[in-house]
Amino acid sequence: MKPPPFEYFRASNPEEAVAALGAHGGNAKLIAGGQSLMPMLNFRLLEPELLIDISKIASLKRIEKGSSGRWVIGAGVRHRDILVSEVLGNSYPILRAAMTHVAHVAIRNRGTIGGSLAHGDPAAEWPMLALLLDAEIEVLGRSGQRMIEAKDFFLGALHTSLSEDEIILAIHLPPAPVAWGFFETARRAGDFALAGAGVLLETQNGKISEARIALLGLGETPIRVYDAEAKLEGENLNSTNRAAAMEAAKAACQPMTDLHASAEFRVHLAGIMTGRSLDAAWGQAIC
Amino acid sequence: MTFEVMRPKYVGARVQRKEDPRLLSGSGRYAADVQPTRALHVAILRSDYAHALIRSINLDLARAMPGVIDVIDGEALASELKPLYATSRMPGYKPTALWPLARDRVRYVGEPVVAVVATDRYLAEDARAAIQIEYAALPAVTDANLSLTAQSDFLHPEHGSNLLVSRNFSRGNIEQAISEAFRVVSGQYRFTRTTPVAIEPRAYTAEWDRRLARLTLHSATQAPGIIRDALAEVLELNGPSIRVLAADVGGGFGGKVSLYPEEVIVCFLAQKLTRSVKYVSDRQEDLISTTQAFDQTVKAEMALDSSGRILGIRASILGDAGAYSIYPWTAALEPMQIAGFLPGPYQVPSYEADVQVVATNKTPSGPYRGVGRPGACFILERLIDKAAKEFGIDPLEFRRKNLVQPDQFPYKTGSGIVWDKSGFIECLDLAAEVIDYTTLKDNRDAAKAAGRWFGIGIASYAELTGLGSRMSAAPGMPINTGTESASVEIDATGSVIATFGTASIGQGLETTLAQIVADEIGVRPEDVTIVHGDSAAITHSTGSYASRSTVLAGGAAHKAGKEVREKLLKAAGFLMDCELLELEIEDGVVRQPATNKVLSFKDIGRAVYSEMGRFPLALRQELDLRATSFYDPEFGTTTSATHIATVDIDPETFEVRVLRYVAAEDCGRVINPQIVEGQVQGGVAQGIGVALMEEVIHDPQGQIFTASLVDYLVPSAAEVPSIEAVHLEAFAAGTIGGYRGMGEGGTIGAPAAVANAIADALSHLNIDITELPATPERLFRLVTTANQEKA
Ligand SMILES: Cc1cc2nc3c(=O)[nH]c(=O)nc-3n(C[C@H](O)[C@H](O)[C@H](O)COP(=O)(O)OP(=O)(O)OC[C@H]3O[C@@H](n4cnc5c(N)ncnc54)[C@H](O)[C@@H]3O)c2cc1C
Repeated sequence: MKPPPFEYFRASNPEEAVAALGAHGGNAKLIAGGQSLMPMLNFRLLEPELLIDISKIASLKRIEKGSSGRWVIGAGVRHRDILVSEVLGNSYPILRAAMTHVAHVAIRNRGTIGGSLAHGDPAAEWPMLALLLDAEIEVLGRSGQRMIEAKDFFLGALHTSLSEDEIILAIHLPPAPVAWGFFETARRAGDFALAGAGVLLETQNGKISEARIALLGLGETPIRVYDAEAKLEGENLNSTNRAAAMEAAKAACQPMTDLHASAEFRVHLAGIMTGRSLDAAWGQAIC
Repeated sequence: MTFEVMRPKYVGARVQRKEDPRLLSGSGRYAADVQPTRALHVAILRSDYAHALIRSINLDLARAMPGVIDVIDGEALASELKPLYATSRMPGYKPTALWPLARDRVRYVGEPVVAVVATDRYLAEDARAAIQIEYAALPAVTDANLSLTAQSDFLHPEHGSNLLVSRNFSRGNIEQAISEAFRVVSGQYRFTRTTPVAIEPRAYTAEWDRRLARLTLHSATQAPGIIRDALAEVLELNGPSIRVLAADVGGGFGGKVSLYPEEVIVCFLAQKLTRSVKYVSDRQEDLISTTQAFDQTVKAEMALDSSGRILGIRASILGDAGAYSIYPWTAALEPMQIAGFLPGPYQVPSYEADVQVVATNKTPSGPYRGVGRPGACFILERLIDKAAKEFGIDPLEFRRKNLVQPDQFPYKTGSGIVWDKSGFIECLDLAAEVIDYTTLKDNRDAAKAAGRWFGIGIASYAELTGLGSRMSAAPGMPINTGTESASVEIDATGSVIATFGTASIGQGLETTLAQIVADEIGVRPEDVTIVHGDSAAITHSTGSYASRSTVLAGGAAHKAGKEVREKLLKAAGFLMDCELLELEIEDGVVRQPATNKVLSFKDIGRAVYSEMGRFPLALRQELDLRATSFYDPEFGTTTSATHIATVDIDPETFEVRVLRYVAAEDCGRVINPQIVEGQVQGGVAQGIGVALMEEVIHDPQGQIFTASLVDYLVPSAAEVPSIEAVHLEAFAAGTIGGYRGMGEGGTIGAPAAVANAIADALSHLNIDITELPATPERLFRLVTTANQEKA
């Protein structure tokens, strides 16, 4: 379990990283926390010629307030940084809750948001959070900088719309409803979830004015359950629309069978996680 | 004259573990830590076919890669070595040839095929990627039933079938018991495949001593003695030419007690290349090539009379041995022990068991903590709970009624095992008392009424530990495992040194053995130096497994320690000019209380070895301060326990949480309560893994899916409750020191207790738990089916 031979280059800024990616035309890989990449190298699933270390690039580590109430989180920010960030905790309390489900402490201390998004594991928390929070992903490539909406970013399992020469610079989070629910079920504490759901609710006069529901671990990409969201708006959460949302979540997901759970069981869990997250978010919204 | 230790000072005390400072500060020395000069590194190319003929192997490209020193395949080895066979006296048993590298044919995914030797492991793995092998795939058999009925494509064609072992045990008249029974409960149980998962993967460093042209194998093994003897045989060496050292071993659990191909390979290469050679398996290799466990299907039925007394048990056991019958334990080990222990601690007048063991295209299976008993206990305790339910008798009462009663010992079970007196009922009562069973039942009923899926599970078991020469660890196996030795000495500096053949696999043996020696001789445990894990230090030993080390090595330590004490007193008596009976020894000082004269061990050591003139000539001839003893407990002794677990199942996600866990056991005289508790807790944690998550999974083509710890799930601290271990010393064991073995019990009781608790939590759905692990997926299916049947 040793990686194949590779060259190593430490980039001191994003431009250098992009130049190096471009020069190797698909045979180079960025390495951030290494928590997903190193296992793939050690299993020799990848054989890049060059590893470009971006972990020392200072500009990727910012957490700052941008224009129009947005927060900008650099791609190099680690899961642990989010867990302890008070400002982010206030604006997006769901982030903290979700981070406690990302692997174990040692991995959270190293793994980064950019790595998680670029890796594009549909069972991971960040891709789902990006979709739930209507995030935009800021990337830089040889042809310049661009913003990609989360809903256009995740194309399949471990497959994103990043091109070979692009680096993620940051994730931009617009203001979002604060009442949240987040549940997932995993075989053990810290394992990738069998199924999970995140819910955000905004209420006005005791009625739901905005609802967002997203699923993880239940298909090739994270999934937004737009159908159910629309139907909840203008209503209280009640057993009928709760059940309908659960059914909508089950209908929206297309999970795979693997060693840990069958597709059928995961569909069942999609409903359960959605229901529990709705209850939690509703409980917060009305209190 | 005997010098009985009347009031043990250290045996029974919570002495701090001697090994912990080094292990906890990262100063332990594991086989991978040994860094001989200019060592070469081995990477093994393993078969990725479950069953195939090897058509051709091309090593040319690999040989030309940077840093590569040598590349060898099975043919190259075959011309230099003999294969090993795990023989057995068991009639009809079929051994399999064990070659370190596959010849002609591969039989499981992970089987070693080529060894690459290079100047470092990275280069060795680069070269491994350049090896070209052409295989011709054969149909793989991964299902034991299909293996049994197969008519062709046998794994070992010379046997003309895949059946390696076929045996029958019978006692009493089971036909009659069943036909006359008031009720018969039965089930088909599946105990899926597991693997030991020691934190330290297997590792072997063969150190070549140029000067003496000798080998030292630093091995992650529980059994340095077995490995030394086997390597001497395979490599045709005499004993002193091969020394096997296991300084520290990072957990064994049975996975490090067999001879492995890589041990032979590194030794062979070191000899051939006259260089030190090192192989450290990575986690993936460890998961696919360390001996695995269980994988049995058992049909069992229990006949009962109208009062709920067991009349008999009948079982047929089909064991899946994997591809080879491993050395020295043979393929018979696990399934035969299931048959041996299936009657359990109960009165079972009639018994019959059929055992069949087949070869399949999976990793060879071998010993695993508890050997056969975890499976036997699971099956039996499920049947017991089922019967209790049928009769409407509380499961605790049902057990009390059927357990072997205190006046029935020694009790001979249907499989021929004899239980010496042990606290069967006493453990049951103690566990019930500690968990407050009556209140617990009320709480359970209230929880269930409130819609919670809450359950209580009980498991009682007995195991035979400290097996002596008349009770083989594996039936008919080629080596004797009935003795261990102890050599105790006081050297010229007055230091106490005790040498054993056992190994330090994390179980705290250095401390417990030191406590025994300390009491026998009269020193503090910290002043006893324990030497073990070194084949060169002993004449013969088989090592640490089967809950034997403390009973056998501890018994030998008592014998040798007593003898040294006698010699010490004799010398001191002469030096102090007094009667031996007047002397006391404490903490390394001999004292004559009447006169308050004292002599330290140091004084006596110096006198005996360096100032012989102080003794009369006749005494000088016989005076030394050392003794070696062997101990053979003949049959062994019974350890018994009752475990009670409570679980909560989430009715929507089917996650099982173990809430409370009480283990009450009679392991004889407790040498160190802290160490005993640690062993019970670790064992129970392992058993919870078996009950809830651990499963080696192959596809029908024999590809192994659980080749990383992402897919093979072991419990972490978050999944294991705090485990309450309580001891009782109900009856003195007949062993020297009164010890019973206790390293495996936790793993024996836990799968059954947790399975019973799950079944109890699901009792409203009438769900039988017949297969472990009880994963959320399995429970989802069981509950879905039960609900459909209801509707
Ligand atoms: C045992 C274990 C359990 C885990 N459990 C979970 C879990 O439950 N939930 C979860 O979400 N994650 C889990 N992870 C993954 C972990 O969160 C990783 O940290 C994360 O997925 C990748 O981040 P990284 O910084 O380590 O990325 P790396 O491993 O360094 O890189 C991953 C990929 O992203 C690319 N990349 C990295 N940074 C950038 C960038 N700025 N721009 C473009 N591409 C980039 C790399 O080239 C590579 O392809 C687990 C990991 C392990 C080892």
